[in-house]
Parts: sequence; C-alpha cells; structure tokens
Amino acid sequence: MTTAEFGTHKWGMVVDVDKCIGCNACVIACQAENNIPINTQDRVERARSISWIRVERYWEGDFPDAKARFIPIMCQHCENAPCEPVCPVYATYHNSEGMNVQVYNRCVGTRYCANGCPYIVRFFNYWEPVWPESLRNHLNPDVTVRSRGIMEKCSFCVHRIRRESRNARSAGVEIADGAVQTACSSACPTSALNFGNFNDPDSKVSKMKEDKRHYTLLDQFGTDPNVIYLAKIDADKKVGAGEAATHG
Amino acid sequence: MKLNRREFLALTGKTAAGAVIFAACGLPERELIVQSPVDLPEDLVRGEDAWYATSMGGFSNGDGVLVRVMQGRAKKIEGNPDHPVTRGKATARFDAVLQLLYHPDRISNPQLRYSKTGNLSNISWDQAEERFANALKNADGALTVVTNPLRGHLGSVASKFAAQYNGKHMAFDPVEQGVLHGAVKSVLGQDQLPTFDISNAQTVLSFGADWLGTWGSPTQFGVKYGEFREQHDRGYMIHAEPRMSLTAAAADLWLAPVPGTEGHLALGIASVIIDEGLVSASNVAAFEAAIPGGVSNVTLDDVAALTGVDADRIKKAAERFAEHTPSVAFGGGSAGAHTNGSFNLGAIYALNILVGAIESKGGIISNPGSAIDDVPASATGASFEAWEQEIANWRAGNVETVIIRGADIVHGMPNSVAIREALEHVPNVIAFGAIHDDTMDFADLVLPEETFLESWGTEIPEPGPGYQVVGTQQPVVGPTISQDESGLVSDARGFGDTLLAMSDGSYGRDMESLVRGALSDLHSTGRGSVSAASASLFTNGALQRGGWWDTDNNGSSSVGRVATSAQGANYSDTDTLGEGNDFHLVPFVSNSIFDGRLAAAPWAQQTPDPISSASWSTWAEINSIQADQLGIKEGDVLLIRSTSGEIEVLAYPHPGVRPGVIGIPMGQGHRKSGRYAEDRGSNVFSILVDEKDSETGALAWAATRVRVQRAGKRVKVPKFEGNVEARPIEPGVPVLVVGVGETAVDAQEANHHLYQKQFLGERKESGDDE
Repeated sequence: MTTAEFGTHKWGMVVDVDKCIGCNACVIACQAENNIPINTQDRVERARSISWIRVERYWEGDFPDAKARFIPIMCQHCENAPCEPVCPVYATYHNSEGMNVQVYNRCVGTRYCANGCPYIVRFFNYWEPVWPESLRNHLNPDVTVRSRGIMEKCSFCVHRIRRESRNARSAGVEIADGAVQTACSSACPTSALNFGNFNDPDSKVSKMKEDKRHYTLLDQFGTDPNVIYLAKIDADKKVGAGEAATHG
Repeated sequence: MKLNRREFLALTGKTAAGAVIFAACGLPERELIVQSPVDLPEDLVRGEDAWYATSMGGFSNGDGVLVRVMQGRAKKIEGNPDHPVTRGKATARFDAVLQLLYHPDRISNPQLRYSKTGNLSNISWDQAEERFANALKNADGALTVVTNPLRGHLGSVASKFAAQYNGKHMAFDPVEQGVLHGAVKSVLGQDQLPTFDISNAQTVLSFGADWLGTWGSPTQFGVKYGEFREQHDRGYMIHAEPRMSLTAAAADLWLAPVPGTEGHLALGIASVIIDEGLVSASNVAAFEAAIPGGVSNVTLDDVAALTGVDADRIKKAAERFAEHTPSVAFGGGSAGAHTNGSFNLGAIYALNILVGAIESKGGIISNPGSAIDDVPASATGASFEAWEQEIANWRAGNVETVIIRGADIVHGMPNSVAIREALEHVPNVIAFGAIHDDTMDFADLVLPEETFLESWGTEIPEPGPGYQVVGTQQPVVGPTISQDESGLVSDARGFGDTLLAMSDGSYGRDMESLVRGALSDLHSTGRGSVSAASASLFTNGALQRGGWWDTDNNGSSSVGRVATSAQGANYSDTDTLGEGNDFHLVPFVSNSIFDGRLAAAPWAQQTPDPISSASWSTWAEINSIQADQLGIKEGDVLLIRSTSGEIEVLAYPHPGVRPGVIGIPMGQGHRKSGRYAEDRGSNVFSILVDEKDSETGALAWAATRVRVQRAGKRVKVPKFEGNVEARPIEPGVPVLVVGVGETAVDAQEANHHLYQKQFLGERKESGDDE
C-alpha cells in the first residue's frame, strides 16, 4: 500500500521484454487514452507519425534461424532528463513523483527537447490534429488535445494517477499497489508492461526491478530512467557468448 | 463616498491582496501544489466516469470488456478483470471498435434501391419495415439468412427466424474454421473448441495458428502466455508456420514447413518420440489407434525431405515435447487451410494422446455445452462447398430473399464463385450494417444496425476457459447526437430486435427481454458466479460483472480417430499464368484490421503490423535472400496472379519467411467500407482458388499457388520501421538478450567484449590501428 499524498510516490515502469509479443495492444490503448491524432498514411510515409509508445522490431539471423525481437519504448521519465534543461520556457520539467512532465500551454515549439532526447520519444505536432466531427465523441476529456506547434510525449497517464490519488484521498485510504495502471500496462495481455511506485519496496515493480535481468536503455548516458527493462531470454543462447549485431 | 479612479484602484488592489492572503492561510500545502500553474490540465481531472461491463460480440471472440463512458459517450474499451476469458487484458483491436460506433460514414437511415441498377435513397423505418415484410412474404420458403458465425441469443434468433419462414440460416467466415471443428470432433470427441492450459504447460507445440495474434482467443491465450513465461523455467514454445507470424516470433523454436505438410511434420515428431521410447507404451498404443495406418512407415528423413524442415530441428522439437511435460499441441489457421487440412489438424491434435495431455493440467481442456437451452455455444461458417451450392441457387433465381448481416460476402468470397452476379439474381437483398460495405452495393434494402455497444445480447466465448460462461452484452451508450445538434449520427436498430419485430413473436419480443429471461433462468439453477435473493438482483449482478460463469461445470472428451482424408496436399496450377516466378500464397489475418471487419477504423488501419511494421496498405512478405536473387526490392509493386485473378501488392522482403512462400495480409481491397478503407490496398480473398479440404469441403485458403511478377514501379511502403533511428544499447545490439540464468550485466559485458573483438579485429586486418 502506498500513501495518496502528493509527492510521496516515484512512479515507474518495468518492461519484461521476454513477455512482449509485439502485438501493439499498448500502442492503440495509448492512442485512444491520450487523444493522439490519427497517424494517416501520409504522416506515416513522412515519418511524422505520433506514437507515445512504440514497439520496435529487430531481426536477428537469417532463415531458418531468423528471430524477431520486440521492445516497447516510451518516454523513459529520466531522473537526469536531457530534455529538461534545454527547454527555454520550462515547458518540460521533473515533478516530485519521478515523472518528466510536459506543460503544453508553455511549449513554444523550439523542439530542443526532442533533439536532446536520446530515446526519440518526443513528438512534435507539425499539423493541427484533425478528427471528423463524429470521431470527437471518443476523445478523452481528461486529456488535453494538443495543437499545432506543441511537443508531446508519454505522460505515464498522469490523469489516471491524479484521478486515483484524488479518489484515494477522498476515501481516506492509501493507493493500493496496482490500482494505478497506465493505458498501455492495463491493455498488455501478457503483462510485459508493469506500472507502479518505486518508493514502495513491497510494490510489484520494486520487486521486479531487482530481477537479475534488469537494465536501462542507453545506460551510458547517465539519464537514470524510471523505466526499467528486463532482458529478453533466448533459451538457445550460450551464456557469456555475447550477441552478434542485428539488423532491421 | 466619492472615489476617483486612482483611489478606487488602490482600494480594490488592497482588498484583493487581503483576500488572497486570507484564503492561502486556510489551505493545506498539497492543495496549493495541486493548483500550481506548472501543473497540467491533466492534474485537474474532475469529470465523473462510468464503466459498464459488456461483451464484444463478433469483433473479438466474445471477449468480456469494460467500456468507459463519460457524458453519454464511450471513451475507452478495456478488458474486464472479472471476465474469465479476458481477465482485464486487451488486444490491439479493442479500442478501434469505438471508431465504428462514431464513424463519420456511419449509415444514418434505412436506404432503398428502387431498381437493381439504381442508387440508394433514404427512407423511413416504417417504409423499410413494409419492404422487409413484403420481401419475407414473397420469399415463401426461398429465404436465406446470412450472418457471421453467431453464438449466444443472436445466433438463436437468426436461426429461429429463418426457420419460421422456412428458410435457412448460413454463417459465412472467410477464414473458415470448419476443418478445426471437424478435427476436434473426430480426435477429441468435442463439439466446442477446447482451450489449452498454456499457463501450466512446460512445452507448447503449435502449428499454423497465430494464437497470440488473431487465432482462437488471443486475449485469453495472451494472458496465459504471460503466465507460461513466469514459470520457474519459463516454459519452451515451438511453433510451426511457413511465415513468421506474431506467434512464431514469440517461439523459442520456429519450424517453417512447406505449406500443407504440417500433418506430416506432426507425424514425424510422433515417430521420433516413439522410436526413442520417450513415452509410455500405452500412450503409443492409444496414439497409433487414432492414426489410420499408424506411423510405422514414417521415417525422420522422409519427413524432413517432405516438409523441408531440418531433421535435427524435428528431433529437437520431438524430444522437448515428450521430455518436458506437461506438454500441449494444437493447430489451426493455415495448417488446416489445405486440401488435406483435416489430416493435418487431426495428426496435430492426436499428438496430445501421445503425451497424455488430454484433460490434464498443462494440456487440452474441454469446454462444456451451453448453459442456456437453444442458445448455441459453438458456431462456425458453412463450408465453401455448401456456399458454392447456395450461390448457384441464387444465380439460378431459386432464392427470393437474402438477409445479410455481419458478413461482407462480396469482399470475402473468391472470384471463382462470382458472388456479384449471383446477388443480382436475388430479387430482395436486405443488408444490415453500421458502415456501407462491398456487399451493400448489391443490396436492395440497407438497414442501419446498432453496434454491440448499443444493443442487447449474450455471448458465449469460443473457446471458453474450460467451464460454462455466458457473457452479457448491454447498451452502454444511447443514440448519438452530432456535435452541432443537427440530429442523430445514426438511426440504427439492433439486428436481433429487427428480426424479432418481423417475427411471429413465438421466440421473443425483443433482445432485452430474451437476455433478462435467460438470466432469470440461470438464477433458478442456483449455481454459478452470481448469487442473489431474487432474479432481478441476480440480473443486475450479472450485468454489472459482464456475465455469469460456473467454474464447476466442465466439458469432457472421448478420444477418436483422425479423419481418413487425403494425406497429401494439392495446390493450384500456375502453368498458364504468364511471366514471373512461382510462389506458394499464404494469406494471413491482419493483427489490426483482422479479415477486414475493422478496416473502416483508422486506428486499426494505422496500427503497424507486428512483423513488417506496415500499415494502411497491402504488402507481400517474401524471403529476403530469395528477393535479392530475384532482384525484388522493398516497395516494388508486384503483380500476384492466380487462376482466379490478379492483385497488386508492395514487396516487403524479410528473413522470417520460408523461401518460395509469399505471405499477404487479409482485410484490404474494399470498394466501400468508409473513407478510411475505400479503394485501399488489395483483396487477397479475390485470388484464392476453389481448392477444398477433402473431408469437410472447407475452402483450402492456403492452397493457392501464384505467379509473381514485378510491375516495373516502386513506391514507399507506409511502415513504421525506419521512422525512428535505432539506438542500440551496444553497437549493433538494440535488444538485450540473455541466456537462461544469465544476468543483464554479464550479457552486456559479453556483448561489449564481442564488439571490441570484432571492431579491433577488423581494424587490425585493415591496418588502420592508428
């Protein structure tokens, strides 16, 4: 159990790559939850699609030994985030709950933050988001629709955290471990994505991140992410053999 | 008191400041933080939401879902944590259904075509009902009701309605499951499809079925897969399929047999197990009794030569399957879509006899029949052979009225049956649907249909979880008014309600009363997941939870024999197809738009395919080495020609395809289906040849051979791959992989040493050490 008081959590995610099947359930759940504009064919072809979480696929080997490796990547919510100090208007900052937050109203669209992010998880709205009128019915009223010229990225579904925190405070109870789930972790059928409070030593994610397979992406940059990965297991891989370069 | 302007401003300024100071003193610190201007609007969530439990109907195996509704609008679809099939989880298709509900091209009114060559005109529901009644009166027994395979009350109503008018009810599924149902019936003696205890299996051996993506019950199987990998030694998964599907990619060992030889591969695995004495003699005897002719003539070398799978791989799979138990084997999809499909699937399911996996922990678990009388718990499409006969009847003018719902038969039928011409010979074609599809181009009367989010029903998932389940479906939103208050987005009615309104009333008044009546009957049984003092409370309880289930009511099986159908596969000819190279066509169900039923939803269109990462298009997957040999590059427009026709697709070479095989996704190539799907990509169904499974008459949709020719032009494949630069954790290593028991630190260190060795070695050889 964790307290509902603001600022006492450190929200984070543990991604068990060994369980990720690349199904993209997380991608669409995020799209629906966060009012992300439709990635039209034109946007996809121009490499301008917006996807707060993506599943990257890499090939290893050739037929018949070909293997496809999947890895979901979203904002890593770094403790030492390279995107934060470069923003001239403090549109992106680190809050007291471990999250890298984007204030849309402040963003003036310099894109310095995107240039600074080594994970390429920040997306710029090159166009005004357009939905046919009837499709606006499914927009989530908890989440701001971003306009042209604004940077956006994974928020760890901060509105869900706030809703659950508020409900817990109103009820005078603590937030139970697992009560707050991001849209992606909620959808993930294999539970490859796990969300929770790293400040609670008894939380599921705190225990998972102690797994001997844990690592962080681009550790050499010292960004100290709040997204922890558990390495893919290959039953045929010889221990200590090293992994040859992949392609795709 | 008279104040000048300066005095007024000074006074109001002091008053305001005082008010602020006073208010701030009374606020706890956290409220000030919440109201800080650096917070997002997302920090200030205030609206109240409601979550309703319902079932997804034909879009996802009857999965139980929760729908988030705010201010009368559906906002999100998530798995229902209480539901025994979904257990709170989802697929990439769940939320896309929202866009069918609010689709900008949703049919708003009943529409009538006054003559076969005329256009559709809006009419009122009264006029539509009059037309409908006349069509039924004129039919006089010459009536066919065509639907997607329907379980639950909707299936019951459709069948009874057809029977009332002396007509017939036929289900259409472009990806036929009849072979699977036949194999399960003959080998396991089960009417309902079984489920698989993947969570507790040590070894999973699957053939052809993309069970983590699109086959069977992907949500249920996905959850079980997660549990399978959580086991102490993580389990071992073997998958056989000519093209690497999402499921094959998750496997520890991928076998890529020649299409149509999956049954022989299964027998090859069995022969290794028997020859090496890996299972008990009684299991061997039971297995051989189930296989006509036994496996005494099967040799590993022959199987390796026939299937194109290396003998060592077959041996490895066999030993793992037999030695690391509990094991379970199952198959479907392309493995059953051959002229010898019944043999293939029969041999695959019989492997469970060999390892004692039937009705055991970690093995195959039967599903029981329906908990409600007259309500089907199992459904499958009519065989292609039956459809050919039926369509011939239409063409001959023997059928007066055809009612179509949930089945885009013009898109889903191969060219060989000439469905368009046949429909032109039916005097009354009545089509239900939410968005205009290809079949409606041939409809005389088009009726706007409510989606599952707006209508009542029940749904029995197939495969279920191993015990009786009745999922409830309830309207979670009302009719949608457009934003500018100009009127209803759609004046739709439920398919079941419309049929019941046109019926004699002997089998129900409306769908809601049928659902409530069925729940009342379940209450009277006194068993299951909901207990309440009254039927009314029971009904509310079931609707709140999304259904009723009884974990104590299980299925049973009795081992039979594999059908003695042809063991060898036949393929279509390519001799007369002009220039090009021959390939074996393996169509596959799209992970997002499925067989085309979700093509209208832009979220489904934009979702990257898990393997190719392509979207919004139809592409062809071919082996990358073979593509190099043939000079085919990514984006080359390929002409895919069979004896049934020709389509254009974009080449996408990758290493995960067997050479000689070409994989093409289903679901695109609609002439209609709304602005997001219309005239997009190509329809692979159209070029399938009319080969059939010799036992069931089902369409052998993976038995088509095609000739592939470059069209001489190249376009960009709309794909996600390459949009983002790969950022490897170590040069050349984007995804960290560890061996069993290896730590991430050790693996990273080993990768680093390997890279240094390779890098320094290369530099040394090239003499540029400095």
